[in-house]
Amino acid sequence: MRIESKDQFEAYQANAKERESGQPKKVLVCCGTGCLATGAKEVAEAFAHEIAERGLDVEVGLGVKSTGCHGFCERGPLVVFLPEGLLYTKVQAKRVPEIVEKTILGDEIIPGLLYKNPANNERIPAYEEVPFYKNQVRVAMRNIGRIDPTDLVDAVAHDAYAGLAKALHEMTPDEVLDEVETSGQRGRGGAGFFTARKWRSCKSAPGDRRFVLCNGDEGDPGAFKDRSIMEGDPHSVLEGMIIGAYALGAHEGYLYVRDEYPLAVVNLQVAIVEARKAGFLGENILGSGFDFDIQISRGGGAFVCGESSALMRSLAGKTGEPRAKYVHSTDKGLFDLPTVLNNVETWAGIGAIIHRGGAWFASMGTKKSKGTKAFSLVGKVKNTGLIELPMGTTLRHIIYDIGGGVLKDRPFKAVQTGGPSGGCIPEDLLDLPVDYERLTEAGSMMGSGGMIVMDDRTCMVDVARYFIGFLTEESCGKCTPCREGLKQMLGIYDALIEGRGREGDIERIENLAAGMQLGSLCELGKSAPNPVLSTLKYFRAEYEAHIHDQACPAGICRELTAFEIKDDCDGCHVCFKACPTDAIEGVIKEMHVIHHDLCISCGACLDVCPTDSIRTFPKIELAAKEVV
Amino acid sequence: MAEQPCVDLSMTEEILGSYPHEEPSLIQVLQDVHRAYNYLPCDVLVRVAEVLEVPLAKVFSVSTFYKAFSLEPQGDTIIKVCTGTACHIRGAGQLVEELERKLGIGANETTEDLKFTVKTVNCVGACAMAPVMLVGEKYWGSAKPARMSKYLAEGVNDEN
Amino acid sequence: MPTLKINGRKVTVAEDVYLLEACRAAGVEVPTLCNFDGLEPWGGCRLCVVDMSMAKWDDDWFKMVTACNHPVEEGMTVVTDSERVLATRKVVLDLLLARCPETPLIQQLAREHGIEETSYEPNPEQTDCILCGLCTRVCDHIGVSAIASTDRGWGREIAPPFNEPPPDCIGCLACAEICPTDHIKFTTSNVTRTIWGKEFEMLRDPKTGEAVITKAQAEHFAKRSGVPKTYFETSDKSKRLKVAKTFEKLQVVK
Repeated sequence: MRIESKDQFEAYQANAKERESGQPKKVLVCCGTGCLATGAKEVAEAFAHEIAERGLDVEVGLGVKSTGCHGFCERGPLVVFLPEGLLYTKVQAKRVPEIVEKTILGDEIIPGLLYKNPANNERIPAYEEVPFYKNQVRVAMRNIGRIDPTDLVDAVAHDAYAGLAKALHEMTPDEVLDEVETSGQRGRGGAGFFTARKWRSCKSAPGDRRFVLCNGDEGDPGAFKDRSIMEGDPHSVLEGMIIGAYALGAHEGYLYVRDEYPLAVVNLQVAIVEARKAGFLGENILGSGFDFDIQISRGGGAFVCGESSALMRSLAGKTGEPRAKYVHSTDKGLFDLPTVLNNVETWAGIGAIIHRGGAWFASMGTKKSKGTKAFSLVGKVKNTGLIELPMGTTLRHIIYDIGGGVLKDRPFKAVQTGGPSGGCIPEDLLDLPVDYERLTEAGSMMGSGGMIVMDDRTCMVDVARYFIGFLTEESCGKCTPCREGLKQMLGIYDALIEGRGREGDIERIENLAAGMQLGSLCELGKSAPNPVLSTLKYFRAEYEAHIHDQACPAGICRELTAFEIKDDCDGCHVCFKACPTDAIEGVIKEMHVIHHDLCISCGACLDVCPTDSIRTFPKIELAAKEVV
Repeated sequence: MAEQPCVDLSMTEEILGSYPHEEPSLIQVLQDVHRAYNYLPCDVLVRVAEVLEVPLAKVFSVSTFYKAFSLEPQGDTIIKVCTGTACHIRGAGQLVEELERKLGIGANETTEDLKFTVKTVNCVGACAMAPVMLVGEKYWGSAKPARMSKYLAEGVNDEN
Repeated sequence: MPTLKINGRKVTVAEDVYLLEACRAAGVEVPTLCNFDGLEPWGGCRLCVVDMSMAKWDDDWFKMVTACNHPVEEGMTVVTDSERVLATRKVVLDLLLARCPETPLIQQLAREHGIEETSYEPNPEQTDCILCGLCTRVCDHIGVSAIASTDRGWGREIAPPFNEPPPDCIGCLACAEICPTDHIKFTTSNVTRTIWGKEFEMLRDPKTGEAVITKAQAEHFAKRSGVPKTYFETSDKSKRLKVAKTFEKLQVVK
């Protein structure tokens, strides 16, 4: 039954909310990609089976929901019990009968399944009290983890499409534009362009036909907020696009989703079908007379297709080569028609902005960066996962208070933000409030919101080389500075990490960087030097050590690093098992030894040694030592 | 092209039937074709060019530009090691090396018996569980080289 | 008709031209490689970069853009020889020289910009292809699209489909003729022509017997224009002679 009036929508919404509150006792099993990898599907099935077996559906009105990503992936599978708000981590299917027995029926908590705070080893039962969740303010991710992403009624019970109904039934397209402008929202894909400004320039472009597009390419390695939104709350993205289309007078939309996100494609497709059936998409949406529909387009595996003009070429069935932006895509974009392209997170925020008002959104954040931002906190940090916070939160708060600090309490070295277009931020800048301007000033950028924490076991020359290597593979090859420049830079970096660095390498890198920044056609090439320049700025000494001393201070570059087991080895034998080339010799409880002729310097032993008894030293010193 | 075996084109016709016959459909068609045949056979590409009315040179250009496509038959089970930043610093390289030791092939290579293809992928979005690898459709998070045999055994695609 | 200032010189041009033409109108030559009058500009080689400031910007705020495809606008200021423009062109040529160290055109352009030898690692595999895209663009323009770029990034190459003789090629030689570095090789005689590994039958002028065009090209043009194929079989010389004969009949009237 299609909704065709304001009254009908309100009735639908009321029904949905009633269904939701009619089932106070719920089990929410996170089924985002991360938890699925550790067995969440089996856990959800076990719960459903167990509850059905015991006929609990009738007795206590229990609902089992497979929800989207809670963000706390390394602790998965995650299960939340409502209304208590109890969180269990690392739940395995085989324990489900016990959990149903003790926790659901018996109201008893199983301590071993609770989240353990690595800071003080305390167990925390309440989801809302876990530091990872406590400090979050979820706007774009408001419903992820609370709803079943494949259930439209569940989404509506949590206010999905409330913003759309308000826009269509109570506001004109210009009023919608004004509201988005009031919110001060800036694009969440990385460039941070003011959403309302982009929409206005598209609206003023001549012509009858225009498009709204969603950039679901999320190419930044280390960022997965868009995946979580598309998988966990696809209706939030659809709602935003429909509102945007209404404001712009567009009737066609495309959702460009990365090929590497199959679950996102599935959940979005289900959502679109449901939305069409209920009247949120298609003709005469909610009886307003406005027509709009969306199609999904899968990417082919190219980072460059996250660039807007390349994305539009890909949508048109061509290779993902960007074009010069002297003519804006708001004038001539997809098929040379006026187009608005926004990021997944940007669209996901629109529904909330219209529903709760632009002023509400603008009440959070900093002067120029309003609202909240999703970050993926990953790398060498204890609590890795997805978080959403007001703009202006400091890096220190994110990494230490929410992230719990560096993994294994190793010394903090840097946090990399902004993906391959960003840079590394060192320790003395940790009190930087995170917003668009501040990160750019520090030599990095916001990008997608990826934050990769690095410890002392990270070589910054290797990190720069990693990004150059990544971009070399992803360059489309159209323009000289990027195509040739990246290749040459990669050659210099390969030489550096292999101990073949020469005098003048840093100058050649800097020269190439300048040429690429000024000469490249698109942002991929123009911002490729960022990780290079920021590592040079803050960690130049490491480069010099590679070139002049044939040494890698972090002990990562294999050609330059040798490993040795120190006297405090207690013979626990863990390194022996970890070594992939059987280069370690030793008997349990006795001092172990590394054979340098077999050792490939991969560091697996040092990473697992529980007593910190393995050290690194420059390989050139081996010649001077006696070989064992 | 001459060395490729003939393929059953009926699957191609079915796929082409479900999209508008124009250039914008190209990448979606190629993805469905790739899923159906496990690679992009050249006979199929010729037919796709014909039906979508796209010059064959451009179809070939698109087929070689995007990393999702292979023009050679792939293994029954595709192993993807994520080499995104978070996975890189948590040891993705060691996983690729272990695979080379176990299977004798590097990235973008297929075993002689066509059982496995190894690919590196630039971010599957499971960064909080780095390093991540996929064996077929199965994700393995916090993967360790020492457990490679287990991953290979349990994730294998049994349907031929 | 917008007026711009180019290297200090004022010039007024048509509304819909690009900066490159405006520079030429001002008597300033900007080097290009991937540009060709008659084809849509591509902006890939990046050699034609210039510094540009819009009227509404601060006087000292410039943006580096490619002259070949940046539209003109009233009040624009353009500098084609600022320090950073010259430095960027130098990097472009230095990189191209590393890619094609034996190619005379690139050696010459590099020398003109002060580069005798590349500062970077020279390409171990000899090639003359600078990936300017002119060949594929002219092939598209003619409506054939027999060749295209393959792969991406450093591995990018211009090739026919499957690296085999291209089924759509008509042997017109436009790609070989437009190529600035003579990278595309072909052989042609009165009887056959070979390019991209494909062999073509030549059509000969009925009067003079010299080869004029490939059969495939004549058919393509005939189909596209509706003009009979025989028109394309006669050489330009024969066509001129034919028209010249009509002039003999003119008489001066007193």
